[in-house]
This record gives sequence, structure tokens and C-alpha cells, in this order.
Amino acid sequence: MKVIIVGVGEVGYHLAKNLSNEAKDVIIIDHDEEKISLVEETLDVQAFLGNGSSPAVLKEAGIEDADILVAVTDSDEVNMIACLIASSQTIIPKRIARIRNVEYIKNSKILSKDYLDLDLAINPEEEVVKNIIRLIEYPGAVDFVEFAHGQVLLIGLKLDEISYGVGKAVKDLSELRNYLKNNNKVLIVAISRDNRIIIPKGDTIIKKGDILYVMMEAGIAKDIISFFTKREERVKRVIVAGDSNISSFLANELDSMPIQSKLLCPNPDRCAKCSEVLDKVLVIQGDITDSAIMRDENIQDVDLFIAVSENESNNILSSLLAKRMGAKKVIALVNRIYYIPLVTTLGVDIAVSPHLAAISSILHFIRRGKVLSVAALKEGEAEVIETVALETSDIVNKPIKDIKFPKDAIIGAVVRGDDVIIPDGNDLIFPDDRVVIFAKKSAISNVEKKLMVKLEYF
Amino acid sequence: MQLRLLLGFLGILLIFLSLFMLFPLFFAFYYKEDITPLSTSFLITLVVGLLLFLFFRSPKRELRIRDGFALVTLGWITSAFFGALPFYLGHFFPSFVDSYFEAMSGFTTTGASVLTEIEHLPKGILFWRSLTHWLGGMGIIVFSLALLPLLGVGGMQLFKAESPGPVADKIKPRIAETAKTLWKIYILISGVEAFLLMLGGMNLFEALCHTFGTMATGGFSTKNTSIGSYNSAFIDWVIIIFMVVAGANFSLHYRFLTGKFKSYFNNTEFKFYIAVIVVSIVIFTIILRLHIYDNIFSALRYGAFQVCSIMTTTGYTTANFEKWPYFTQFFLVILMFIGGSAGSTGGGIKCIRIYILLKHGYRELLKLVHPKAVISLKMGKKAIPYDILQSIWGFFFLFMFIFVLASLAMTLLGLDIITSFVSVAATINNIGPGLGTVGPAENYAHIPVIGKWILIFCMLVGRLELYTVIVMFIPEFWKK
Repeated sequence: MKVIIVGVGEVGYHLAKNLSNEAKDVIIIDHDEEKISLVEETLDVQAFLGNGSSPAVLKEAGIEDADILVAVTDSDEVNMIACLIASSQTIIPKRIARIRNVEYIKNSKILSKDYLDLDLAINPEEEVVKNIIRLIEYPGAVDFVEFAHGQVLLIGLKLDEISYGVGKAVKDLSELRNYLKNNNKVLIVAISRDNRIIIPKGDTIIKKGDILYVMMEAGIAKDIISFFTKREERVKRVIVAGDSNISSFLANELDSMPIQSKLLCPNPDRCAKCSEVLDKVLVIQGDITDSAIMRDENIQDVDLFIAVSENESNNILSSLLAKRMGAKKVIALVNRIYYIPLVTTLGVDIAVSPHLAAISSILHFIRRGKVLSVAALKEGEAEVIETVALETSDIVNKPIKDIKFPKDAIIGAVVRGDDVIIPDGNDLIFPDDRVVIFAKKSAISNVEKKLMVKLEYF
Repeated sequence: MQLRLLLGFLGILLIFLSLFMLFPLFFAFYYKEDITPLSTSFLITLVVGLLLFLFFRSPKRELRIRDGFALVTLGWITSAFFGALPFYLGHFFPSFVDSYFEAMSGFTTTGASVLTEIEHLPKGILFWRSLTHWLGGMGIIVFSLALLPLLGVGGMQLFKAESPGPVADKIKPRIAETAKTLWKIYILISGVEAFLLMLGGMNLFEALCHTFGTMATGGFSTKNTSIGSYNSAFIDWVIIIFMVVAGANFSLHYRFLTGKFKSYFNNTEFKFYIAVIVVSIVIFTIILRLHIYDNIFSALRYGAFQVCSIMTTTGYTTANFEKWPYFTQFFLVILMFIGGSAGSTGGGIKCIRIYILLKHGYRELLKLVHPKAVISLKMGKKAIPYDILQSIWGFFFLFMFIFVLASLAMTLLGLDIITSFVSVAATINNIGPGLGTVGPAENYAHIPVIGKWILIFCMLVGRLELYTVIVMFIPEFWKK
């Protein structure tokens, strides 16, 4: 599969890295010479210097036989033009563009079939807002992914000293088994420790500070979270800090939720605009790193402090400050993907990244067809893949323990009709089951091969 | 330095190398010769390779730029060492230095030999000698890149470090695919040449050996008097054409073979390369007609052969050009330095660099006349990035510096000035035969041992285009 990526920013670079690791043919176009040479030196991709919205450059890059065009430059307009030119020159099966400006997405037909005919318009900011809302709905979880139309959940739980399971081996979690009723099952598919992903075996010991990735049926998620964390957590008070589109979106969403929320924003114009729209959310004008304001707004009683300004250093500082002043949990928005592990070791509970969100949804889309859904975890160190078991593939009609599955991958859930099965070694997978697979980066291409065996080539 | 990674990779390289030793074994069997030198070498290389591979197998890891340099340089030094085993074990050469010289000369596609009586050697050994050319021509590292996706990333570093020219041209999105494609083209063109040579009267063995020598721009022959011994105009012209093909950029051949027929004429370097060849041939034909040959066709045939052979850094001979006028002899030395195109199997400074340097020189003159003029240096329709220009000047200086230094060292060993200069020129440019006591009718056997090591170093440095090797000699390379 040949993928052309226009724009080697943070998103383009990581997208190229992920795709080329999966043995796809990746071609990159950017007008920045330095970025091009960096890409050529560090990734196994072909790079072209030039403007991604220029027909000649696209032609040189081989647009004629490309399968997917992904336009992820900093400019919405360049992205749209690149897609438009690509489809005017040749029939390119899939076009994806990053569109930041909501105006283009919401109130216009420009993305529709008659005009740009985009297959996917990604708004990273919207994705981030969705993520944060989920984290508010399921406090206690640091990561959260839905599969099979929301029937299956994968939840990341951060364990501290009082959490259940710390110090025990995975096979010894008998209280967990007793706790589950009605044949419900859960599966610990991975443990993230010191920013490395471990696929646990029966005798893997769970440690304090681990993030446990647990696969389960959606209905029992809240119970499982409180069982592990041993707390009845509910988010009652939230402060959103920052002057950005994300803070506005987030405040909008929170306005309709039964939560006491405040928006802290340094920009008077945005404050004025937001207070016009918002009914319940209290808008406060002030600097997001101002400790006096935080004290005045009772930061010590806040359950969740969310720093989402455009400046990532400010986000980190302000969330650390909030944490120090007594906020129970803090979220910081970080753009550079390499910063994420760093930020969480500093004491920020959760780092969200619009780039990671964009990468995740683009990967998700690229694999669609064979794969229903993909989610990237831990800066892309691991992925969760949802797919339909094909009659011809190697995994059907035999007990799971007999499938020769790659070492760093695990089958987390099987969905048959309305039933969710969290499988053990004796369960069987039938054709047309939906299967949710957790895989480390190194195993992804092998997993794909396993799923595709004897499959149609296209 | 990630030593484990390096040793593991060398192991794989040696396993490949040992498998290639099976081909000369076949010819040794066929001609009922003593196979022990080849079979022993095969076993030693295979076992060492397997041991290295098994002990130092490491998970895929990212290769840093320095590791790339070290790996390529070590890869070549090691390959030449094990490649020298059949020569040494068979006692065909008086010492190990001589065997190593011959093997390095083979892998670096130089074609400088220490043999006086080539025809006395068994066919199996001669075949191996030519095969080292062919392997070295497209690059032994590039070959392993093609077969194994060994490294997560970092393949590009290796590719860059080994492929000739200032910028490495990636013709496919993935490095393994690029390497595979280049080797496929290489094999295809080689097949055509071998077929044509057989039509010209060579047997399979000779046709293959000379194909290897031509396509790699190497120059090892199976005859004492090189191509001249066939005395066939057909063979001469076939080899002339394929030398020119081998000295051109292989990514142009790729574009041509995929239907972009105009690619040759849109490429500035190719046009320059052909122009230099054509002009030189015309000059040689006129001078040789006046001084040596009594008809224009012989003058053209022998002149063209020598021009193409030296310019593409092959080093085959059909005439003893030491008997030609001094002008033509010196002309040939200049052609040695120009060399083939970037991305070809040829050596030398490379046409693209010479072209850019000439243009840059002219621009400096223009700037004297129009001090305020903004003149961009262009290759075809594209401006040359400033850092590439700088790296070319650096390359040119270093190349000349090493050339002068090595020549000076050769005179210290008691060699005359012509031999010193030309032996270094003929090895650093990967040609083979030179002038003086290393002329087309002579060989390198009489060079003192230290001189042979110096020339071995020159061949390696020339083939890997200086930077890759020289960078290992600066202390900063080894600092953590």
C-alpha cells in the first residue's frame, strides 16, 4: 500500500514512522529542507522537497498509483488544496485531511461529495475534547478506548499503594474473579511500567505505579474501576484552563453535564464570548499559572484540573501548580509526542495530545476495511485493533490456545452478535466474530498477516 | 558504537559471501580442478559468519549515523579478508598481503592485479576473482539490504555510506525495495552482456568473468593481455557499450526500463558524462590516427575503448597505451579523476561533482564581472543546495589531499615519480592499470609491502568515497 503524506510536522512524522514500521510504502512531501533530511535519515520512507499543493510535486511523488493521500500540514487550506489537486489529477482511493477550523467542518458543504469529497477530515482538537470528556465520565481511568460500537471497553488504570492487586501475580487475583458475577470476565491485556508495555503472563507481578490495561464488557466498567482503585470517584468540580479552541469546546460540553465547572482564560474576548454561550460554567478571566486565582477558586477542592492552552509549557506548569495546591487530578495538553512520558513522570496525571489523537484516528481510518478500528496507546507503543474474523483467516474455528499468535499480541475480546466474550485459551473464534486484539508495535505487522492469511489481496 | 549490532551484521554479510563462493566451486568442479582452496574458504567463511550471527544476534535496533559508517567500512575490510582466503589457501600468491591486495582490488572494482601469469591460475579461482568485482560493484552492503530487512531503520545510512555520489537516490519508498530494484537491473544488464559476449565467441566462463569486470567497472580479465587478446572488434564494441552503461547512474536505467525514455536526456550529469566521453573519443581518434594507426577505424576502436575503460574506471586494455603519445597518456590520467556518474558502479571523483565544481568556478568569475549579481548554481532546472556544494568542495579537497599524501608516501618507498603518482591515481579512482612500472603491460607485484597496504587503503577510500572511511580516523568519532 502506497501512502503519500503531505507535511512532516509532528503528526506527519509519527504517522510516517508508524506506517513505515508496518511495511507500507510511505512517501513524504514537505517544503522544509531540514525536515526532509531529518526524515530521510531517520525513517525508511521516500521524501520529496516541495509544496504539497503543487500538481508537479504530487506527480513526481507518484500520486498516480498512490492508495491514500494524507494532508497534515499546518494550514487547513493547503491540506484541502492538496486533496483537491490529487483528486483532479487522478483517482486516488482515499483522501484524508487535517482540518482545524471548525467553520469548514460544521457550517459548510465544502468537505462533502460535491466539492472536496474528503474521505476523512480530522479535527485533532475535537478528538482531544472527546477524550477528555470520557476521562471525566470514567474517573480513575487514565486511558479509555471503545470497541464494537461501545460494547467492549479497554481501560487504563493507574495503580497506587492502596489499589487492589499491587504486589500480586496476575494469576492470583482471586478476589477479582469472585467479585465478577454472571459469567462476566475481564482480561488484563497489558501493563505499562516505566513507559514500557508488558504483555503480562500468569506470574507477572503487578507493581505500584503500573498502568493496567483491562479489557471488559462496557456495562461493568465503572464497577471494575472502583474495584481496582478502591475509591468511589466522581468528578464533581472541574476547572478548564487556557485560551484555545479546545478550552471553549470543552466548556461547551461541560455546560450540559451535571458538574460544577469553571473556565479560566486569560483572553478577555474569549471570556466574553464564552460567557455569552455558557449557562452553567463560570468564566473567570486570569492567567492560568496564577496561584492567587487558583487559591481564590478553591483549587484544593477541585477534582480535575485541565490545562489546555496553546502553550504546552504553560499547560505543564499550570497543571503541576494546581496539583501542588491540592487539585486531585490534573490533565495537561502536550503537543510534542516525545514530551508525554516526561510529563507524566513530572507528576501530571494524564497528558493528552491532539497530535496523538490525530494519528490515532488517521491510522484507524487507513486500516478500515480489513480492520474496523484501531487505537494507539502510550505514544503508539501499542495498538488495539478491532477486526472481523474472516472465514479464511488462521484464527477461526480453533481454541485460542492453539493459535500461533505473535508473542507480543493478545486477543482481548470476542464479540458475537450482542454477546461479549472475554476469552481464555479454550474459547473458540468463529467466522464473522468481531475480535479485539491488543498488540505491541513490534507485533502489529505480524498480527495483520495472521488476520489476512489466505485473504483477498487488493 | 553498538558493537553487538555491528558484529551480528558482519556475520550475515559473511554468510552471504560464503554462499557466493559456491559459484566458483561449480566451475572448479566442471574444469576438474583442485577444489580445496575454495571449499576450505567457503567453510571457514560460513562458520565464522554463523558464529558471529548466532552469538551477536540482537533485536532490531536503530542504527545511528556513526554505526552506519563503521559498519560499511568494517564490512568491506572483512569481506576482502575472507575474499582473500581462496587466493591465499591455494598458494597462488606469494604472501597474504598479495592475496588481500587482489581481493580488495576485486571488491573495490579497481582491477589492479599482482599477477603476472593470469592464465596459469585455475578457472575456479579466476572466477572468484571476477565475482568479487561483481559483488563490490553494486555494493555488498546494498546487497544484504536487499535480501534482509535487517534493521528497523538506519538502512538509509548504510545505503548512503556505500553508494557513490554526493546524494543517494532512493528510487522506491522503501530502502529494501530500492536495493532490490538496483540489483535486479544490475543482474538484467549483466545477463544481456554475457549473452552478447558469448555471441562474440567467448565461452560461458570467459563471458561471465568479463561481464563481471565490465558491469562492476572492475577490470580483472582471465587473459594476460586483457581484452586485447581476443582481437575482436565485436567484443571490443560490446564491452565499450556496457562500460558506458555501467558508468551511468543506475536509477536512470531504472527510469528508462519503467518507460520513462526521456530520463537520460533530462539528466544533466548524464549529458555531461556522455559529452566528456564523446569529446575525448574524437580527440583520441584524431591523435591516434596521426601517430599510431594507419586507418581511422582502428584509431576509433582502440581510442574509444581506452577512453571508456579509463573514464568509467574499468581498466580493461586492448592496447599498450604507454606506447601512445604523452598527450594521450596524460589525458587518460585526467579521465581517471573525472570517473563515472553518481549512482553507477564506477569510481573517481564523479561527473556530477566535476560538473558542479566547474560551474561554481565559472560563477565566481561571473561575480567578479557583476559584483551584485545573484546567480544560483543549477543542475538542470534545480538549484544545488548550499550544503551539498560545501560537501563537494570538502570532498574534492580531501580527495586531492589523500592523493598527494599517498603519492608522497610511495616515493618514500623508492618508487619513481610517475609510478608513485599514477599507482595512487589508478587505485584511489578504482581503475587498475596505470603508467610507469604499473602500466598496462605490467602489474603491482613489485610494489613494496608497505606500498601495497597504502594502495589497499586508497582503493577502499576511493570506493567508499572518502567520508565513510576517513571519518573513522578523527578522534571525535570514537568519543562517547
